Amino acid sequence: MYAKLWWLIQKDLVSEYRARCVWPPMLVLGMAVALVFSMQLELLAEQKRQLVGSLLWLATFFAGTIAIDRSFGAEREDGCWEALCLYPIAPSWVYLAKFLVNVVALAALQCVLIPLMVAFSDVPLFAHPGDLLVVVSLGNVGLAAVGTLLSGLVMSVGRSSSLLALLALPMVVPILLACSEATRLVAQDTLDTAWWRWIQLLIVFDVLFITLGMMLFGFVVEE
Amino acid sequence: MVKKARNRAKGEVVALVGASLLLTAGLVAACFVAPTEKTMGGVQRIMYLHVAVAWFALMAFAGTAAGGATYLVRRNLIWDAWAQAAAELGWVCCSLMLLTGSLWARKAWGTWWTWDPRLTAAFVLWGIYSGYLIVRSSVEEPHQRARISAVLAIVGVVDIPLVILATRWFRGIHPAAPQMEPSMRAVLLLCVAGLSAFLSLLVWQRQRQLDHERLVGLLRARVQDRVF
Repeated sequence: MYAKLWWLIQKDLVSEYRARCVWPPMLVLGMAVALVFSMQLELLAEQKRQLVGSLLWLATFFAGTIAIDRSFGAEREDGCWEALCLYPIAPSWVYLAKFLVNVVALAALQCVLIPLMVAFSDVPLFAHPGDLLVVVSLGNVGLAAVGTLLSGLVMSVGRSSSLLALLALPMVVPILLACSEATRLVAQDTLDTAWWRWIQLLIVFDVLFITLGMMLFGFVVEE
Repeated sequence: MVKKARNRAKGEVVALVGASLLLTAGLVAACFVAPTEKTMGGVQRIMYLHVAVAWFALMAFAGTAAGGATYLVRRNLIWDAWAQAAAELGWVCCSLMLLTGSLWARKAWGTWWTWDPRLTAAFVLWGIYSGYLIVRSSVEEPHQRARISAVLAIVGVVDIPLVILATRWFRGIHPAAPQMEPSMRAVLLLCVAGLSAFLSLLVWQRQRQLDHERLVGLLRARVQDRVF
């Protein structure tokens, strides 16, 4: 089963490597959002530390929506979805594969965005790399878990990606808030109980959304 | 058969009149019987309506998810009709909750809106079920609509515990469980009971209307099949 899961992941990564139609626009949009924020905000150092978390996660959400939308959008073309349905694997594993590909895409986006944010705003985000990695990993998992399920749903309905943004934004607000606050606390060097509470909230949401995604995805793609 | 239908109609009228009287009694008690709060004065009476609509909105959204989950198990569209009816009334109550809360906040906190954890969670809930209703209206095929809506409702219900527990988990300015006089508490309970009874009946009636619409649609399709 894990070999089949890996093949599905590999299929998406290889097709993206060959076509390069999702990651480049995602990275460019993320960089553009980060640049615009940084250029417009001439703030004091402490104010930048307060804002950097929100800006990072807003840029991640806007740019990441491109990758999440295309995770099933690409399957609509040339009967790809029908072929994928013939693959001898449960829908929940298809969800898991798409979810993992989206986590990789968001991680790639943040590998570019975070150094860019640090360079432009001079906020010491890398002072606690381990804690930052925890926040970023949990945030990406949460965004990808909700986004993948909703992307499948939008594909099933046959609607445009604007519907995905409309549905995803309210659902991911708790995750974005928790990530922004946890990143702010990392930037302000105050890793106290408040930080741990945001991390706990993120863990709860991640577990809930992955479980719900795996349970409900079969109903979403049912013909 | 006709007698049974008549008895049922009578029962419905009696239930509707009873629920309306209970709701009217609650609103009258909130306006004229409940003591005036010392610091806020008459504006504090908004709280009786605010809590009642908030309670019903949360229950209705939980009911929407329950209806959706039952549809996914049984594949009977009547459960989807229950889910839709509950979502519509829940959305109206959620909007009223945000509106009355905003009016109350203007007097209590000096602002129409603040990003307090509970307010934020409530606004997110409103957004989730607005999306739910938009998706419902954009899908034609009834079973596909029911499936997709059920999934959205079940994912959306995750926000309800966040609304309830936001005041305990995070520091905010929204009152958690304020101490109040026994008479105020009694009026509040009367308002919650009256509004819940009245709106539950409306949900029931709306569900029946939706079910009848579906049956009429089926009959119309059959007649068209015979004719052409």
